[in-house]
Amino acid sequence: MSNMLTVSQVEKYYGNKGNLTKALDGVSFTVLEGEYVGIMGASGSGKTTLLNCISTIDKVTSGKIVIGGKDITEMKSRQLSEFRRKKLGFIFQDFNLLDTLTAQENIILPLTISAVNHRDAISRTEEVAATLGISDVLTKYPYQMSGGQRQRVAAARAIVSKPAMVLADEPTGALDSKSSRMLLESMEKLNTDLGATILMVTHDAFAASYCKRILFIKDGQLFNELIRGQQTRRDFFSKIMEVISLLGGDVSNVL
Amino acid sequence: MYCKLAFRNVRKSLRDYLLYFLTLVFAVCIFYVFNSIEAQEVMLKISTSEKEILKTIAQVIDYISVFVSVILGFLIVSANHFLIRRRKKELGIYLLLGMKKSRVSRILIIETLFIGVISLGIGLLAGVFLSQWMSIFTAKIFEADMTGYQFVFSTSALLKTLIYFGLIFAVVIAASTFAVSRNKLIDLFSATRKNEKPGVRHPAFTVILFLLSIACLGVAYQQVLKYGLLDFDFKLLREIILGAVGTFLFFASLSGFFLKLLQRFKGYYYKDLNFFILRQINSRINSAHISISFVCLMLFCTIGILSTGLGMNRAMENSISAGTAFDVELYTGDNGVISISDDLASKGIILSDYTQASYEYTDYNNPSILGTEVLTTDVYDKLKREFYMSGREDPVPFIRLSDYNTLLGMKDKPELVLEKGQIAFSYSAASQSFRDVVQEKWNQTGKITLLGQEYAVYPKMLSESVVSKGQDSSLAIIVPDSFLIDSAGKITEGFAVSGSYLQFNCMGDSKKVQDELEQRVESFYKEDASSLQYFMITRNFLSTTYAGSKAIIAYVGIYIGLVFLLTSAAVLSLQQLSEISDNRQRYLVLKKIGADDRLIDITILRQTAIYFLLPLLLAIVHSIVGLRVANDMIRSLGGINAAQNILITAALILVIYGAYFLATFMGSRQMIVREERNE
Repeated sequence: MSNMLTVSQVEKYYGNKGNLTKALDGVSFTVLEGEYVGIMGASGSGKTTLLNCISTIDKVTSGKIVIGGKDITEMKSRQLSEFRRKKLGFIFQDFNLLDTLTAQENIILPLTISAVNHRDAISRTEEVAATLGISDVLTKYPYQMSGGQRQRVAAARAIVSKPAMVLADEPTGALDSKSSRMLLESMEKLNTDLGATILMVTHDAFAASYCKRILFIKDGQLFNELIRGQQTRRDFFSKIMEVISLLGGDVSNVL
Repeated sequence: MYCKLAFRNVRKSLRDYLLYFLTLVFAVCIFYVFNSIEAQEVMLKISTSEKEILKTIAQVIDYISVFVSVILGFLIVSANHFLIRRRKKELGIYLLLGMKKSRVSRILIIETLFIGVISLGIGLLAGVFLSQWMSIFTAKIFEADMTGYQFVFSTSALLKTLIYFGLIFAVVIAASTFAVSRNKLIDLFSATRKNEKPGVRHPAFTVILFLLSIACLGVAYQQVLKYGLLDFDFKLLREIILGAVGTFLFFASLSGFFLKLLQRFKGYYYKDLNFFILRQINSRINSAHISISFVCLMLFCTIGILSTGLGMNRAMENSISAGTAFDVELYTGDNGVISISDDLASKGIILSDYTQASYEYTDYNNPSILGTEVLTTDVYDKLKREFYMSGREDPVPFIRLSDYNTLLGMKDKPELVLEKGQIAFSYSAASQSFRDVVQEKWNQTGKITLLGQEYAVYPKMLSESVVSKGQDSSLAIIVPDSFLIDSAGKITEGFAVSGSYLQFNCMGDSKKVQDELEQRVESFYKEDASSLQYFMITRNFLSTTYAGSKAIIAYVGIYIGLVFLLTSAAVLSLQQLSEISDNRQRYLVLKKIGADDRLIDITILRQTAIYFLLPLLLAIVHSIVGLRVANDMIRSLGGINAAQNILITAALILVIYGAYFLATFMGSRQMIVREERNE
């Protein structure tokens, strides 16, 4: 399997000379095609900055990010938008569905933005909706749907343009546990059934336990890596909790 | 402390308040200037008749002001509503920090008062200065001399402005207090995220509403075209209400209707972000349609007032040159046998000092021959309906052919020859189209019966305006001398002398001579009340009267039109900006999904264009109907087609409206870029 994402020696600094914050400090890793990778870390560890850099919303200070063979740090803003809409799919915290649009229109958005022929776009939408089991809510508005349906619509929007990679930023951050579970199951389905490569940022161990591999980040640096392998999710979950307790601070932090 | 907070708020949101503030200042300023028109007469050396004109104009403005203040009131209240909406989160924070609702309201009240007082102050100051300048302008139009500079200040206008705007601000305060007290903290706090309830109206309902609005407008149009505009009566009120209701329903249902319609054209619907724009507008239309309707009605007024105002100006200019054939006309009622020139000579005015040639004649009437009878009732009704001719049911004046021909001769015009048993009609004052209607009547019959005897009518209606304006009716009948007076000099039975006329052109500096004569003739009556009373019409008098009324109508029209235009553009702009700021999250989502700046630009541009163009388009349709009627009215006053005025109006709208449109587009764009950086 080929490398979908290669992050090498990425640094991101904020502030000026006098007051420099190293949000990312030499982060390197790779994600293979079809992988489901989680990035975990405490608040302020730099995980969202990392995701923003990968999703081309933010620019790195130094280092390279290569997605599907293309170096996005070299691209101009126009190319970036095009790259973003063709190669990346997004799942946001609280879904960010546009509540003025119906489910169908929400899902079709990335396609119309890429100026895909409307007939193809509509049939693609229906196809994705069928896969995720939301064909019957296509004409409804977000406020007329259940939480689970909204998540699946958001997931459908993320993959409708057949992106190289789906990026999820704290997707369960604003959800109750039942909805969280449903979203995570649909993301797992995206990964296993549709072969989507997913990169998810979260600080929730339960959410992370659905991933196949987890990168831990602390103070802008990679700290640890966990691979699920053949473990059950429950075992994987307890492994994660162990690392988190480490991440939370070692003895020196407790005084 | 609350004061300080309020002041700081105003300063902080200066950019948002700027448009609101400028519109307020401008409104106050214009309001004062127009209501102070009557006070300007102190600076002008003008005749009593001109003072009467000023008084009438002031009265008209009085009425208009009520209407204007209602419209301004609505606009200011809705503008304020938008500002409050933008600041809901801020108000939410106050409440969250434990401030009482009454305190928050107090901050808002202080802010409103603060802005109100400042804008009133600046607006009044500007108004007072502008009214000085306006009196110079007025003087120029009246061709009146200034009596020397005098500071013009109208206390009544000041009080009126204070009262009207005080009321408006009171309503604004009540509305914002209501907005705070009605809202729950959670709503205020999550205002930016929470959308207005999307339009869940049933599609069939929208279609019915839309059809209803079209029906309302259709009936209103048809009524206006049928009955015209001049009579301010119940019918006109009904037309206005129908038109307004139609407009409101139109905008309330339009977006829903079009959404349904365009969804059938999927290629267009899913192109660019068109469906996003449509949904966006549809989601806002519940609250936006009211102000859009107001804007539309105001634009309609702007177009109507500006082009009719300008048109009226030209119409009057036109009729003045057609109106008078001689510099001076002296007229007196039946005086027995005294000749006007002899009477003048006895008072020291020797006509030959003033003119090379003068002519004096008398006209006659018969109390049993009335205007309605001569014209026949159906023609008369038609004239009344189409040309707003007021009811003249007086006896028709008869003029001897020899008198008429002498007058023609003085103007170097060819003589009129009547065959035996033929009479001629003269209709001098009216416009060509007016004459056409009457002419058609004579063409049909070619005969008229007077006192039981049938006469042939001279085939062409005479339009030379050589007959005196002193007569009540501009309709006169020219008859052979023998019809009125037999060879012995005896007047035909049933007829009587109705008046004597003296008409001539002045020698030398005609304007000066006219003034001198006018003063001398006026002085007779002052010196001796029993002396013969003359009605004197000079070319000077006519032109200043016309000049005065035409100019004031023109500039009232232009100013009020401009205020409407500016205010409507300002409100649209404010509305659009606040919408973008409310919904910036949606645009940011679009950007995250991959919409590039160009696509976002297109989206904002189209959205802004729809907001600005929709009310303008309906206003133009309203205006086409309105101006058709107004045009007929102007034509009846002797005017020309208003095409040129419409072009000027269009240019003004293009410039002002266009500028606001561009500013709004740039502002919205910047807001999305700027706020994205702030994320």
